[in-house]
Amino acid sequence: MSASVETMAAAVDPAEALAARLRAQYAARITGELVIPAQQGQYVALPDGLDTRLAAALAGRGVERLYTHQAAAWESVQAGRHTVVVTPTASGKTLCYNLPVLQAALRDQARALYLFPTKALAQDQVAELMALNEAGALGVRAFTFDGDTPGDARKAVRTRGDIVVTNPDMLHQGILPHHTKWAQFFESLRYVVIDEMHSYRGVFGSHVANVLRRLQRICRFYGSDPLFILCSATIANPAELAGELINARVHAITASGAPQGAKQLLLWNPPVINPDLGIRASARSQTTRIAKQAVQRGLKSIVFAQSRLMVEVLTKYMKDAFDRDPRNPARVAAYRGGYLPSERRAMEKKLRAGELDCVVSTSALELGVDIGALDVCVLNGYPGTIAGTWQRLGRAGRRQRTALGVLVASSLPLDQYIIRNPEFFLGASPEQARIDPDQLLILLDHIRCAAFELPFRDGDVFGKENLGEMLGYLQEHGVVHREGGQWHWMDDSYPANSVSLRSVAEGNFVVIDTSGGAQTVIAEVDYSSAPETIHEGAIYMIQSAPYQVERLDWEGRKAFVTRTRADYYTDAIDYTRLKILEEEIKHHRGEGAAPTGIDDSIAGATTPPPELNDSIVGAAPSPRLGGSTPARGTAMVSRGEVHLVRRIVGYKKIRYYTHENVGYGHIDLPDQEMHTTAVWWQVNPAALDAAFESRQQALDGFLGAGYALHIVAAMRMLSEPRDIGRAVGDGNAEWFATVGVNGRGQMRNTDGEAVDPLALPRFTPTLFLYDNYPGGIGISAPLFDNRAAVVTAAQALVGACECAQGCPSCIGPILASDEVRGYSPRALALRVLGLLAHHES
Amino acid sequence: MSLESRLARLQSQAGAGTPAATGTASLSSLRARIAQLEAGGRTTGKHRPTPALPAAALAHRLGGECLAEGVIRIRQCVPLTDKPGALALTALHRQPRLPGESGNSLRNVYIDTETTGLSGGSGTLAFLLGVATIETDAIELTQWLITRFAAEAAALTAFAETLTATDRLVSYNGKSYDLPLLMSRFRMQGLRAPFGDLAHLDLLHPVRRLFGKRWRDCRLLSVEENLLGFRRVDDLPGSEAPAAWFDYLRRGQAEQLIRVVAHHRQDIISLAVAHAVLAQAIEQPQAFDVDLHALARWLCDSDAVRARELLQTHAGALCSDGQRLLAKLLRRAGQWSQAVALWETLAAAGCTDSIERLARYHEHISKDLGAAKRCCERLPATPAIQHRRQRIDRKIMYRTD
Repeated sequence: MSASVETMAAAVDPAEALAARLRAQYAARITGELVIPAQQGQYVALPDGLDTRLAAALAGRGVERLYTHQAAAWESVQAGRHTVVVTPTASGKTLCYNLPVLQAALRDQARALYLFPTKALAQDQVAELMALNEAGALGVRAFTFDGDTPGDARKAVRTRGDIVVTNPDMLHQGILPHHTKWAQFFESLRYVVIDEMHSYRGVFGSHVANVLRRLQRICRFYGSDPLFILCSATIANPAELAGELINARVHAITASGAPQGAKQLLLWNPPVINPDLGIRASARSQTTRIAKQAVQRGLKSIVFAQSRLMVEVLTKYMKDAFDRDPRNPARVAAYRGGYLPSERRAMEKKLRAGELDCVVSTSALELGVDIGALDVCVLNGYPGTIAGTWQRLGRAGRRQRTALGVLVASSLPLDQYIIRNPEFFLGASPEQARIDPDQLLILLDHIRCAAFELPFRDGDVFGKENLGEMLGYLQEHGVVHREGGQWHWMDDSYPANSVSLRSVAEGNFVVIDTSGGAQTVIAEVDYSSAPETIHEGAIYMIQSAPYQVERLDWEGRKAFVTRTRADYYTDAIDYTRLKILEEEIKHHRGEGAAPTGIDDSIAGATTPPPELNDSIVGAAPSPRLGGSTPARGTAMVSRGEVHLVRRIVGYKKIRYYTHENVGYGHIDLPDQEMHTTAVWWQVNPAALDAAFESRQQALDGFLGAGYALHIVAAMRMLSEPRDIGRAVGDGNAEWFATVGVNGRGQMRNTDGEAVDPLALPRFTPTLFLYDNYPGGIGISAPLFDNRAAVVTAAQALVGACECAQGCPSCIGPILASDEVRGYSPRALALRVLGLLAHHES
Repeated sequence: MSLESRLARLQSQAGAGTPAATGTASLSSLRARIAQLEAGGRTTGKHRPTPALPAAALAHRLGGECLAEGVIRIRQCVPLTDKPGALALTALHRQPRLPGESGNSLRNVYIDTETTGLSGGSGTLAFLLGVATIETDAIELTQWLITRFAAEAAALTAFAETLTATDRLVSYNGKSYDLPLLMSRFRMQGLRAPFGDLAHLDLLHPVRRLFGKRWRDCRLLSVEENLLGFRRVDDLPGSEAPAAWFDYLRRGQAEQLIRVVAHHRQDIISLAVAHAVLAQAIEQPQAFDVDLHALARWLCDSDAVRARELLQTHAGALCSDGQRLLAKLLRRAGQWSQAVALWETLAAAGCTDSIERLARYHEHISKDLGAAKRCCERLPATPAIQHRRQRIDRKIMYRTD
């Protein structure tokens, strides 16, 4: 673009001009773009039935008509349907629930319960309700009720609050077990509002679904049946998630009628600065450059960082550029979650008034706070989910002008995947939020809590498992007592205190920072992940800051860490012996699913691992396959139940960037056993033989492919990588493969002794991805359903990687000492993935 | 595989096996497991359980009667005499009166409960309820024990029927604990709570007020030992009460439960006696080692004369707060010279409030304006003080003497 045209564009629309400039100057770094045209607002008049006082209140706040989706939500709720609203940030979602709630409060003195994931958001909602309340002198009382609510105020909230705003943990521990104190409230409860619904997924979401079950049960006791109104960011399955959370059909509203200015989005990958090692410039350097340009052009900007530490760093760089003179008012400010409400209000006010040019924030500002319109939003690192990314990008957006968003990738594998596969990000949301409300351990915990709240009766239903049997189990453990067809709580404990909504059962470890002589709890780690991540000597990242584990108290479930400046990271070596117990569905590449002849629901005897004989290719069906059609493809995918024993034997110390192996540590921790669900892939031995020169190479290929599949699977299932485990073995616990100290694949038998791949008569490596919680967590089934997309995505991840042989971004760290193997581990992984994906034999 | 074995297996896999990890390994549930094992025939010989005691037999052992299905009512009439080794009951002959109470026409109903836990949530219930009233020559005590969950409504109803509108409840920590819990239970059973507007005296508060600084804690047991001079013999600790009741329900083992009933009875009697002795202690504070300053503070509004006298007799032992209180009472009574003496002592120790009091006294009472001014000079120059100084200066200027 010539300079004069550029100036013209700048005069018209500075954000567009900046976008043009960036495109011109840094074309090589931009891997994807999206232009979203401006959208007109679509309006509807205020609904007929709306109370005049409420209409007046709205007018007092400058609202004379509704967006189409707000009106649609009103209609849906008036029609008595549970409703979920799935529209972007800043589209006026709160009115979708505030209107029906206030209407019912005014007309019938009906009450409502609002659930928000954070206190800050809860406080802001109350403030917004109060503003509406005052504008129309409505006389409706809204209060927050959480751990900070002082004792003497609690009674007032319970008895006089029309709208009570709280969070799932408080509902679980503080409200439901004391429901008699809330009798009046539950009797007149009409609506339950759940915001940020998409954050209720995985383990946390499974727990919350059960808390809602308990809530509904208690409402029934008091004779009420509240309607649920939920709000969610864009995910692939909002109606489904909502339905599972509240155990009822939910009507989804997804089209937004809110006006939006034009937006441009750039996907940005920092340039490679060390081709040999594949090292890129830091995301921070790019972010700073872009943000500086934005501020210089007078554009109001917000920068999101992934950790508080990075917020400090970025703020410092920006202040160095713009806040040199302390006599001038600050143009750059940092926003962290730990601020007092008064400090937050002050900053938000400055932003709205345009007194600040640039805000650097963690995700604290991701949620609903009104900060006015901004021109530019830069994301320093991928937020981890597409939904979260769009929420943050939604901060920038003006009515009459274009807004610019830039996503700058860090060197993390997930970031690199996203940035190199823009279609994944820019297309329709592939992210599925999944929960497993009937996860056995989670369900048991909540049945315990529910029994404390109200006695169960024979014939009651709570979850899909046999309630009578679950209660019988609790009776054996001495906490409930059956008398005359009722099950009563009979213990002197308070069960909700020992149930954490974020873990499965109570094995969680607590991470205690002992830096500087103090002892502060800074994180929690699941029992399942503990040996791998917080063994003694491990480098453990918390908020992107490295800590080293000095001591692990296994029995006491505590890990003691200190801040560290180590220049290496640790990688645990795990021996995982995995045995298939029951196969539920099998799929041969190239045709439909073939049931194994065992009923899904029946707990079957153990089956020997299905092995593809040479003869199966194009041959008659083997009797073991239960009469299914002949297999023709190169790979087989299955899902089902597995039993595994995992032992972490040691760890490698790997220097950053250079990938040198700088040491090894021994680990001596108890084995972990798990029954769970899994998805697994196998390749036809003949095809495997043909594709690889040696079994060793095939093994390396499988290990690399597994690494890539793990990353991609976690991403698609909106899970943390630690929620999914991976393993390579034979499926019958006779041998397993692990990446050894030297970085190469090794085969070992059940005793941990090395096995020569050539010594085995039969070589059918199987690649497993399993739910990393005893009893599963609902990931395997949807993962199996998406297996084709997952393999394709893994191929893209590995294929597009710019490293030479392999790296932590694609197939796992390749040690410096190992660079000259004579073959490329990356190529091998790709070959395995190709076999998993291909249809022809 | 049965659901039960699946659960057991998964729990141990999730790391919930170790005692440290299992937060809910409460004493009673552990006991229950042991009981389960023993009931399963694997007795250890030492703890062979006795056969289950049916409710009628239990009622007989307790000296009570089966009211309704699962409700045992025990009524006792305890004469107001002093028996050696037991709590002295003669104190109950007089109606106790605490500061601030006018001639009471309300009947005192002493009330206490034994519950299945301390959390007070909806899973906790009162399995033993008790009330006592003081008649001419005896304490009339009634206890209701339920032997099954289904009997709770009947017990609550029977208990509610004994209360009248002219009753005042007297409890120990009942305001925070027993009453809210009972309200919750009435609600759970769908019954109307009878407490609505009844007056309630919770003795924990006056005890804490008068003895909180002197005793290690203010539990009822401490009241018994320190105030009533009584030590229980062979008493079952309150913390074991839940387990005793659970054990009876599960296995019909009644020995511990019988001891709980005795413990509960003693609690109510002690509560009544504590009420009476507390009133005595207020009349003779020296004899009972009462915190005089606290008592004086309490008496300030209802009996200022007595409050003042109390403080005066111990003026030498008072802390500065006590001295200030005494000065205030002296001022109210118009005993200036004594008040001034106290203020001067306090002022010398740096108490600015006392200096200000002196300033006021000199300005308005003694009319020694020079002294008033000197006092002001010793005070920090707040707007109020400056206002006072200016006024004093004006008065000095326009003095006609």
